Amino acid sequence: MNLTLAIGLWRQRLASPVRVVILGLLAVLPPTLMALVPGMGLAALSNGYPIAMVFAVGMIGQDVSSGVLQLVLARPVTRSEYVFSRWLAAGLGASAVSLAQVGLGWALVAIRHSPPDPRAMLLFAAGREFEIFGVVAVMALLSSLMGGLGDLALYVVLNVVGGIMSMVGQFQHVAAVSWLGQELGALLSPHVELAQIVAGTPSWSALAAYASNLTLCLLVAVLVMNRKELSYASG
Amino acid sequence: MPPADPASGGSTRSIPRWLLVAAAAFLVARVATGIFEQRHPPIQAELVQWHPAGAGEMQSRSTGLPVLYDFSAEWCGPCQKMQREVFADRSSAQTINGLFVPVRLVDRQREEGRNPPDVGALQARYQVDAFPTLVVAPADGSQPTVIVGYPGKAALMQQLTAAGVKARLQRGPVR
Repeated sequence: MNLTLAIGLWRQRLASPVRVVILGLLAVLPPTLMALVPGMGLAALSNGYPIAMVFAVGMIGQDVSSGVLQLVLARPVTRSEYVFSRWLAAGLGASAVSLAQVGLGWALVAIRHSPPDPRAMLLFAAGREFEIFGVVAVMALLSSLMGGLGDLALYVVLNVVGGIMSMVGQFQHVAAVSWLGQELGALLSPHVELAQIVAGTPSWSALAAYASNLTLCLLVAVLVMNRKELSYASG
Repeated sequence: MPPADPASGGSTRSIPRWLLVAAAAFLVARVATGIFEQRHPPIQAELVQWHPAGAGEMQSRSTGLPVLYDFSAEWCGPCQKMQREVFADRSSAQTINGLFVPVRLVDRQREEGRNPPDVGALQARYQVDAFPTLVVAPADGSQPTVIVGYPGKAALMQQLTAAGVKARLQRGPVR
C-alpha cells in the first residue's frame, strides 16, 4: 500500500462534513438502539456496508472528476498501486469505525444489561471486516467506471435490478432469473459466514465466491484504470 | 512518493501477476466447489429454535412475543439459501430467537399432493402463494408483517428487526 495515497483518501473523507456526520451517526445510533431494546442483540448494528460506503463512495471517481487523478498519476506510481491503495485505505478506515461501533455496543449493553457473549461479538466484528473489504472492492470497480459519486447510483440501481430479478424468478418459478438476481445481490453484498466455519460446516463454494468476487472486482478496476486516457489539458 | 514498481519495467499500467493468478485460481475454485456442493450439500447447523405451530402460538400468547412463521418448501432454492445465510448464522439466529417465537411450516403440496392441516390453514390465513414467505404475527392479533421472497441476509434482518421492534413497542413500554 502506498501510504501517501492512503493518507490522501483519509484526509479527503475527514474533510467532508457530510461524511463525518454520517459516520458519527453510524458509530453511535445503532449501539444505543442495541442497548435500549433488549433482545435485539447484534442485529441492531446491522452490517458493515453503510460504514464502508462512507469511505468508499467516489474513491476513484471523485479523483477523476476533480482532476486530481492526473496529478497523482503524473508521479511515479502505477495505476494498480493507486487502486490497491485506495481500496486498502477505504477498507482500513471503515474497519476502524466498525470496530469502534461494535466496541461501543458491547460497552453500552454491558452497562445496561449483562455483557454480550464475547465469542459472538468477536465473530460478528470479524465478519464485518470481510463485508467491509468485500464491498469496498465492489465500489472500487464501480468507482473506476463512473465519475464523481456515480458509483453510488450504479450500486443502488444494480441492487434494485438484482432484487427485481430475484423476486420475478421466485414468483414466476424461473430458476435462472432468480439465480442471476441472487448472484448479483451476493456480488454487491459480499460476506463470509464465519459462524459456519467455526462450527466446522463451512460452505466452500461461498468462501470461493467471496474471494473470486473480490479479486475479480480489483482486477477489473485495475484494467479499467489502465484503459483510462487522462487529458492533462482538460479543465 | 516512492518510485513505481521496478518489476513493472517502468510501465505505470502494469497488471500485477499475482492478482491475475489469484483471480483465475479463485474463479476455478468457485466453479469446482459450486459443482461439488450441488452434489454434496454442506450440513447446516440449526440454530433457530423452531416450534410446532400450535405450541408456538401458545408461547406467543404467554410471552407476548410475535410469532415468526417461515413458510418454505424443500424444492425452494431461495429457502435453502436463506437457511444457510440467516437461520444457520449465530448472530442472526440469536436475534430471531430473542425477538420472535419461530415457527417453520414446510409446504408438501408438490411432494405429497396435499399439506398437513395446520400448514394449509396458515397458508390460507396469510394468503401464501410464493416461497419463502415470512410472516411476523404480533401476539395481540394486530396487523401482521409479511415478507415475500428472500431479499438477502442484510435486508431480511433489517425488515425482521423492524417488525420485531414494532411488535415489541405495540406490546408496551420496553423495560
